[in-house]
Amino acid sequence: MDLGLRDKRAIITGATKGIGRRILEQLIAEGCTVATCSRSVEDVEEVIEKCSTRKAEVIGAACDIKDKDEYKDWVDDMVARMEGVDIFIPNVSAGGGMDSEKNWWKNFETDVLGTVRGCEAVVPHMQEAQSGAITIIGTTAAIETFGVPQAFNAMKAALITYAKQLSQFVGRDAIRVNVVSPGPIEFPGGSWAMLKDTMPKWYEKVMKDHPTRELGRPEDVAKCVAFISSPAARWVNGTNLIVDGGFTKRVQF
Amino acid sequence: MASKVYKPVERVDEPKTSGTPVEHEPLPELGYDRIPKERYTTPEYMELEWRHMWSKVWLLGALERDLAEPGDYICTEIGRESVILVRQKDGGVKAFFNVCPHRGNRLVAEGMDNAETFKCSYHGWEYALSGRFKNIPNQELFPQGAPCAGLTELPCAVWNNFVWFSLDKNVMPFDEYMAPLKQHFEPYHFERMTLTRDVTMEWHCNWKTSVDAFNETYHVAATHPQLLWYLNEMDVQIDCYDRHSRYLVPFGMTSPRIDRIPEIPPPLKFMLTEAGLDPASYQGPVDGIRKTVQKHLRENAGAEGRDYSELNDDQLTDDYNYLVFPNITFNTHADHLMLFRHRPHATDPNKMYFDIWMLEYIVDEDELPDERPRHRYYQYGEKSLGMVIDQDGANLPNVQQGMQSAAYEGLWLGDLEVRIRHFHKTLDDYIEGSD
Repeated sequence: MDLGLRDKRAIITGATKGIGRRILEQLIAEGCTVATCSRSVEDVEEVIEKCSTRKAEVIGAACDIKDKDEYKDWVDDMVARMEGVDIFIPNVSAGGGMDSEKNWWKNFETDVLGTVRGCEAVVPHMQEAQSGAITIIGTTAAIETFGVPQAFNAMKAALITYAKQLSQFVGRDAIRVNVVSPGPIEFPGGSWAMLKDTMPKWYEKVMKDHPTRELGRPEDVAKCVAFISSPAARWVNGTNLIVDGGFTKRVQF
Repeated sequence: MASKVYKPVERVDEPKTSGTPVEHEPLPELGYDRIPKERYTTPEYMELEWRHMWSKVWLLGALERDLAEPGDYICTEIGRESVILVRQKDGGVKAFFNVCPHRGNRLVAEGMDNAETFKCSYHGWEYALSGRFKNIPNQELFPQGAPCAGLTELPCAVWNNFVWFSLDKNVMPFDEYMAPLKQHFEPYHFERMTLTRDVTMEWHCNWKTSVDAFNETYHVAATHPQLLWYLNEMDVQIDCYDRHSRYLVPFGMTSPRIDRIPEIPPPLKFMLTEAGLDPASYQGPVDGIRKTVQKHLRENAGAEGRDYSELNDDQLTDDYNYLVFPNITFNTHADHLMLFRHRPHATDPNKMYFDIWMLEYIVDEDELPDERPRHRYYQYGEKSLGMVIDQDGANLPNVQQGMQSAAYEGLWLGDLEVRIRHFHKTLDDYIEGSD
């Protein structure tokens, strides 16, 4: 099956490491041009140098997505450089934590506003083209109780509702909005690799809750994001795709 | 993603006035020879150790606070001997062999209590707190008189909240033996710390196998992977003195082995929270947590009612880990002391007793424990001693068994294990230096 991603133009925030980076690599492999950002210019330069291929290019610039104006300027700049945008993946997250009220502010600012502001910046470009796909990164911690009652879970849940409503709002412009919600994903340098060392009992429990007794991999998420963002998923809109290897136990009617 | 660039640990280079010295001692040149395994496994070496080392050194016996009133005593065992440490009416502390000179019965059981006199349960011979005879029933049955003046007294020293004794009546002066550690320890003021845990576990290994486990940081990566997210086990300052040694382990940062840190690791979040800082608000690099915590603790000590005036900044976070030869591990911190006493078994080189004394600097009277924690005794594996010690404890019986193998000749030590080599050098000095 050809996903139809060749020569599409994608923007993904914060794809210099982790799952985001793996999504970027997948899109490059499918022939997209991909724009990304990070607060660190060195990290952006590194991903441009390492991930660009003869057929597909990574572009990018340093940007703090928490700064509203800087963020919008960056989106506009990337769209201008690519002469349009077909795919938008707001990927940056403040991560988990139940340390203080500060976690709520951080997840609201980074996860919620970082998504909403990005969508508002790309939608006019997509409306102009009468085409586009927005894929928001959720989490299974939003749809089933998981760990502790932390801001990350609840703020990601807000994004699932937002995505559905946005899909109705911009659907007439042929813009699709979906969520991909990964379960626990393990990779070197990631949180679950750290938890394996620092909270081994918790890690073991989570692993055993997976039917396969293993955690997911970044490519499991990346391939689903690539598919749902692609023309091949033309008729998928407003959904929340759970990518967890069967970790969550609810029946999804 | 850019990997972490390793920078050497920044250390305090000037001690506080009269504080714990921070100078790095030149490492002793002790070569790279194998340490023979027989030292850990044979009754013959165990006997040499007993005759030439255990019988000649100063040993830790009790917390001074446990001997508050006249008659308060602790009976502690070391190898084949049992010793009574007892508070005198004049305020001093005396140490005696726990044996009745009549027929050899032990006078009291291991543990702590208060006594008016010590009375033998066998024939009723009775001794005053001073050790002198109080009563020999039917003394007319002993026309030859009493065998001695009373209980056999041992050298005893009280220092810094601890009571020490020696089995050798000609032992060198206590201060000379402890040098230079008095100056190292006194700034911590252990006397203001409260005992919160008192546990003994019988371990199926030689006492030195246990000492070794806390005398090097090389094992951290394989045995305690969680600690790599909390401390730097590679960049440790090792100092060997005459018979004692130490290493200084930076806490509040990650190991050089960790090159990618996704977020503040849970143990470092805990450290920030304990210090009164909000992990969610911390914006600096993860390896900067150490200095941030040091600065915060220093600035807030007054408001918290804590006195760190004699401690340097590194002591507010780091583990200054000492071995007081032969068998006491001091994990010294500004707010707590985790002390391990590694005691040999009376007869079996493959067994030992691992004591944990946890002392905490508690300034809020409401947080003080209502009473002294009761001493708990456990067999190996009967009870968790906490994640880190459980991980060490899981290795030790296997190490002890493995050492018996025909294929194993002895300890092959690397540079991060130099304290173990220094420990054996000290042990050699006792065994070879004696007549």
